Amino acid sequence: MSKDNATSFDMEDTLKKYRAGVQIMVEGAKAQTGQTPKEVIWAKNKAKLYRYEPTVEKRYPVPILLIYALINRPYVLDLMPGNSLVEYLVGKGFDVYMLDWGIPGDEDKNLAFENYVLDYIPRAVKKVLRAANAEELTMLGFCMGGTMTAMYAALFPGKPLRNLILLTAPTDFTTENTGLYGLWTSEKYFNPDHMAEAFGNIPGDLVDTGNRMVKPVTNYVGSYVTMWDRIMQDKSMDTWLAMNKWVNDGIPFAGAAFRQWIREFYQQNKLVKGEIKLRGRRVDLSNITCAVLNIAGKKDHICTVPQAEATMNAISSADKEFFVLDAGHVGLLTGSDAKRTLWPKISTWLELHSR
Amino acid sequence: MSEESKDQGSIDPMELWKQWSDASVKMWTSVLDGDKEKTFMDPYGMYRPWLKTVEEAQEQLKSNPLRLMDPNVALKEWFEAITAAWAKAAGAGGDPLGLTTQWLEMMEEARAKLFQGGTIPADPFTFFKQWYDASSETWSEIVGEMIGAEKFVEIASQFMDSYTSFYQIARRQNEEYFRNLQLPTRSDIARVAGLVVEMEEKVDRIEDAFEDFEDGYSKVATLEAVESLDGRLESVEKKLDALPSSLEKMKAEAVGGLESRLSSVESKLEAFPAALEKIEAVEALSRRIGQVESKLDQVLDALVKFTTNHALDTQKAAEASGQTNTTATIVPRKTAKKNAKRPEVSSSESE
Repeated sequence: MSKDNATSFDMEDTLKKYRAGVQIMVEGAKAQTGQTPKEVIWAKNKAKLYRYEPTVEKRYPVPILLIYALINRPYVLDLMPGNSLVEYLVGKGFDVYMLDWGIPGDEDKNLAFENYVLDYIPRAVKKVLRAANAEELTMLGFCMGGTMTAMYAALFPGKPLRNLILLTAPTDFTTENTGLYGLWTSEKYFNPDHMAEAFGNIPGDLVDTGNRMVKPVTNYVGSYVTMWDRIMQDKSMDTWLAMNKWVNDGIPFAGAAFRQWIREFYQQNKLVKGEIKLRGRRVDLSNITCAVLNIAGKKDHICTVPQAEATMNAISSADKEFFVLDAGHVGLLTGSDAKRTLWPKISTWLELHSR
Repeated sequence: MSEESKDQGSIDPMELWKQWSDASVKMWTSVLDGDKEKTFMDPYGMYRPWLKTVEEAQEQLKSNPLRLMDPNVALKEWFEAITAAWAKAAGAGGDPLGLTTQWLEMMEEARAKLFQGGTIPADPFTFFKQWYDASSETWSEIVGEMIGAEKFVEIASQFMDSYTSFYQIARRQNEEYFRNLQLPTRSDIARVAGLVVEMEEKVDRIEDAFEDFEDGYSKVATLEAVESLDGRLESVEKKLDALPSSLEKMKAEAVGGLESRLSSVESKLEAFPAALEKIEAVEALSRRIGQVESKLDQVLDALVKFTTNHALDTQKAAEASGQTNTTATIVPRKTAKKNAKRPEVSSSESE
């Protein structure tokens, strides 16, 4: 091959890579996500309850119900084959279920935590117990889903809830612990009512922007530098595409729940003080007595370590463990580090608590 | 339709957007002209100097295009043009967050790091990657400080308030406009969807009730179970048939027995007042005996006193006459009240 030919070949390859990169930037990342086989066993409004099809013989009688946050999509827990917490747990012989809140429409702008914690979750729990033919279950809540799960556990202590796993779930919203969120959502500068009145449901893009602005350079620039780097070095793009798709796949936040989240949690820090009331029922975290595994990430800027750690003092469980990983909010869930640290930790703890 | 929207006349959405656009242009013009009396907050103020300086930098670069053929020279030119323009912008003021100064510092640092190696890569991505690696840390710190500043949050808050107000008005006007065109609006569809959701909730409650019943009480009714129930029901019916005659019989026996028991109770009750009267009479007698007893006690006390005094007198008289006599000493003896009717007399021999 002559030098000219080699140069022309390189140029062609480089142009091809640029085309691929530009296409991703313009059209957005496309990836197959949430591929672990599942069936819908119950649906209510936009919410769906999935049961993951077992791939091995069921080894533990206690089913696991995964509860995700109201913002972002839950398929990050089942990102892609080989990089999925759900797939891992199913492969270990657990009976796994997941509650997907769906995408709220304009008609759902009045959905509040009362609806989610008192109507949706208890029904989902019943459906799981029926489907699994079980009397007890484990609940695993991620981020805001963890906070909601903790509220459910406080309001419905005892059976059927046997184990509770909280993954980066904030319960203490003291301003000193909430970082930039504390400043941005302070009563002095932020009135959630204005936004809820204007938009009804808070647009997903707006919520995403708020989350990404905590680390703007990394999220807005660093992520694409990584993309270009991977393209140029001919590295696999699957994980990057799946993650990027998830990051840009934000969903609206139901207006009433958004108001509560900002006002009662961030601005007034009512949960850890035992002042949250759902339909007149006080949410007292000290009612939680089941076995608890509470996990936080050192590099998590969305739920900081103290925000999650506060749960340990608030609950009454005799069997409780706080586990801190050297990871960020999402990095904790997926990738090679998660496979090595988080997933085995959860699985081992569950094996001991699910017999 | 909300009351608020009724009060406002409908405007063509395009007209509304035009008004918003005009207002925005006016605001930007005012800001760019350096209007000191401006009343609008400029949320994009931080970008204006940058846009202006990029334009100036481009002009500088165009003035000597041949030098741009060499990437090293081109990049140096670019850095110098940009930093000079930004320095100028910083000198002119109008940078409430102090971004320009920080940006300049970062550019200087990045330039130093980039040119440290001597050669600049021809590939744009490699250059960008190097530039990012050289500057991202500082850049992150600068942006972190900026977005963590109260001033930034204050500006963002004002911008958000302004935007939500406009959005709300625009949304209301759009609703009104399409309503006037007799077209269903988004809120109409949401209302119908809301009804569907409510209906679903009712179905869910019925389903819950069924499931609770299934889980809590019921078992599948088999043919054997039904036949068994039929037999038991027949047996109960037979027993019920026999019940009236048994009741009649029981009634006759029971009534007779009850009558005699009632008579017995009546006679006992009649004897009760007489018994009560007797008890009262006994109590009255008891009271009177008590009174007599107390009087006898008083008499006894008086008698003892008298006898004692009389004996002493007699003894004194005998001593005085030198005679020794056998004297009778009356010794009072305490007895139970009911027996204490008279003193007992005992004999003693004097020495």
